Amino acid sequence: MNAPFVIAVPAKGRLQENTEAFFARAGLNLVKPRGARDYRGTVVGLDGIEIAYLSASEITQQLAAGAVHLGVTGEDLVRELIPDADTKVVLIEPLGFGFANVVVAVPQAWIDVQDMADLDDVATAFHQKHDRKLRIATKYFNLTRGFFAAHGILDYRIVESAGATEGAPAAGTAELIVDITTTGTTLAANGLKIVEDGVILRSQANLVAARTALWDDAARETARLVLDRIAAQARARAFREVRTRFPGCDAALLAEARTRYGVEAPFGDPTSSGMVTLHCPPKHIHALAMLLRERGAETVTVADIEYVFTRDNPLYARLEAALP
Amino acid sequence: MTSNESNSAAARNAQAEALVASYERAGYARATPLLIQPADPFLDLSGEDLRKQIYLTTDAAGEEMCLRPDLTIPVSRDYLASPQAGAPAGFCYFGRVFRAVSAGPTEFMQAGIESFGRTDTAQADAEMLALALETAAHYGIAKPEIRMGDVGLYMALVAALDLPPAWKRRLNKDFNRKTSLAHDLDQLALRSAAAKREYQGVLAAFAGTDPKAAHALVTDLLSIAGINAVGGRSVAEIADRFLEQSALGATNSALPEQSRAVIERFLAIRGTPQEALAALRAMAGESGVALDGAIALFEQRMAALTARGIDLSRIEVSTDFGRGLDYYTGFVFEIHDAAAPEADPLVAGGRYDELLQRLGADRPIPAVGFAAWIERLASLGSRA
Repeated sequence: MNAPFVIAVPAKGRLQENTEAFFARAGLNLVKPRGARDYRGTVVGLDGIEIAYLSASEITQQLAAGAVHLGVTGEDLVRELIPDADTKVVLIEPLGFGFANVVVAVPQAWIDVQDMADLDDVATAFHQKHDRKLRIATKYFNLTRGFFAAHGILDYRIVESAGATEGAPAAGTAELIVDITTTGTTLAANGLKIVEDGVILRSQANLVAARTALWDDAARETARLVLDRIAAQARARAFREVRTRFPGCDAALLAEARTRYGVEAPFGDPTSSGMVTLHCPPKHIHALAMLLRERGAETVTVADIEYVFTRDNPLYARLEAALP
Repeated sequence: MTSNESNSAAARNAQAEALVASYERAGYARATPLLIQPADPFLDLSGEDLRKQIYLTTDAAGEEMCLRPDLTIPVSRDYLASPQAGAPAGFCYFGRVFRAVSAGPTEFMQAGIESFGRTDTAQADAEMLALALETAAHYGIAKPEIRMGDVGLYMALVAALDLPPAWKRRLNKDFNRKTSLAHDLDQLALRSAAAKREYQGVLAAFAGTDPKAAHALVTDLLSIAGINAVGGRSVAEIADRFLEQSALGATNSALPEQSRAVIERFLAIRGTPQEALAALRAMAGESGVALDGAIALFEQRMAALTARGIDLSRIEVSTDFGRGLDYYTGFVFEIHDAAAPEADPLVAGGRYDELLQRLGADRPIPAVGFAAWIERLASLGSRA
């Protein structure tokens, strides 16, 4: 019996729901055979995969340690918690949920501060005037340090803040903050504004692979299988299937649709009778349908695609490139 | 550990103890600070960037503590806590320091000296370099490379330039960045040239108005908008800087070309102390910036070094040396292996007159000192 292939997923909240929905769309149904309170699960119909339900920061640490093979976690945590992250993990694919920006926010009253260069100057002046440094409340020590160093800002101190960071300036425990925000509403409610070029990271949930996990042949095979399904699903979601048949449908028209709408023809050019199957990004569906009818089509059908399996497996290729 | 290794460690320690005994004979009392120190003073003085290089932990009360990354701050703190605080006093030390680096050893032996409270600045500076050279000689390194700088010269230059306070602030801070100053000067010049400010019109309207009235108006506007000052900066402070920006914007001041040329000319000065002195005098005379005090100190230090029998022609001075070296305020030096000038220094030191105040002293106390890297010295000593 081989060691199991472990996928770590968030243990609670919206992140768990979104993650389970994401895997389900890829035909990977996560179940907890021993009940909802269990923190171990499996995938229906796939042996040898163990699902570990953990907190997002634990997932990140387990990935860094190579204790799990794949995991779902935010890029903010990857960049914050793993030194030299790119040597330890590979970000395989952004998942389109769990959006959050890590930003530098200062009091709205600081009308003299618009960008990081202003903040740099204020930090220096503050240090001279008050005989202490500006304090930044955050839980993102490493991201803050890296970002401030990149802007050449020296005169600041970090104050650890585990929660309700945006309240720190009003509470007088810090002058400004570095925190995550989705809409900025909470920041505004606390009298804070985002510094213009102060977005440190645009983060979202990612499918992440641990480079230092045990990647034997069995593990690679399992990863290939899982990533094949995810890729097929991701590709399917990126397109709608468009079918039509009319005499004027030829290679030239296809070329035009390709350049205008990013259309692909997975099965090649139109047949001699002008029959074709196209994959079209959802946002261009109506424009494409209009174009095809203008050029002579009587009927155009559009359908959702369940999966697109291709010979290549771009997600697995990304993983394999990072493994020894 | 093999017996050979433990023998060599014992021999290395005995050699370093002999070195420290020579410091004691020179009048420096042996200090033995604790290994575990509060982290705050280190982070405060060296910046948050140090955080990734030190071993942090917390005590039972949740205070951040660290394994000492150097001995200067611990010795200084012990001195300030002692009855001697404020009075002239000299200390020497020999002990372990810890740096969290990803490759290679993480603990090092350092020996060194801290001299507090001496007002004969040039003499004290010269004595430190002399003792540092004796330290190298103790390990059989007779002709090391000596690099010397003086942060005080740059500070005096910036103070003497005819520039608004905001510019001086930036230029002073810039000296402590670890990037190229030329690049930063470009950035500073470009930045102001591109007037991209949202409030540019408002700022321009303020230009040339009575500063008091403008200040009152900005303060009133903020309070009308119902914006309370939060987080340590007062409304007056914000208004001040807002108006300062308007002054900068109105004169459309990129760093004036003339000032920039003076700074660049200054930073290009290098050579022996005699050559540097001549170049400094010529520069000061031709550009009309008054550096008399700083140049006089430089000259006194040269005389004191000569009086101690140090051959000045062996010293390489460069005016930009000392950039990015944390808390130095004046004289700075490094002693290198002449055969491997690119390697890390064997001994490094200088003057840090603001350190003790930043550690809590109620008045300025002059301070100068150096630290020697024992493993580096010993490995060269065994080669000799």
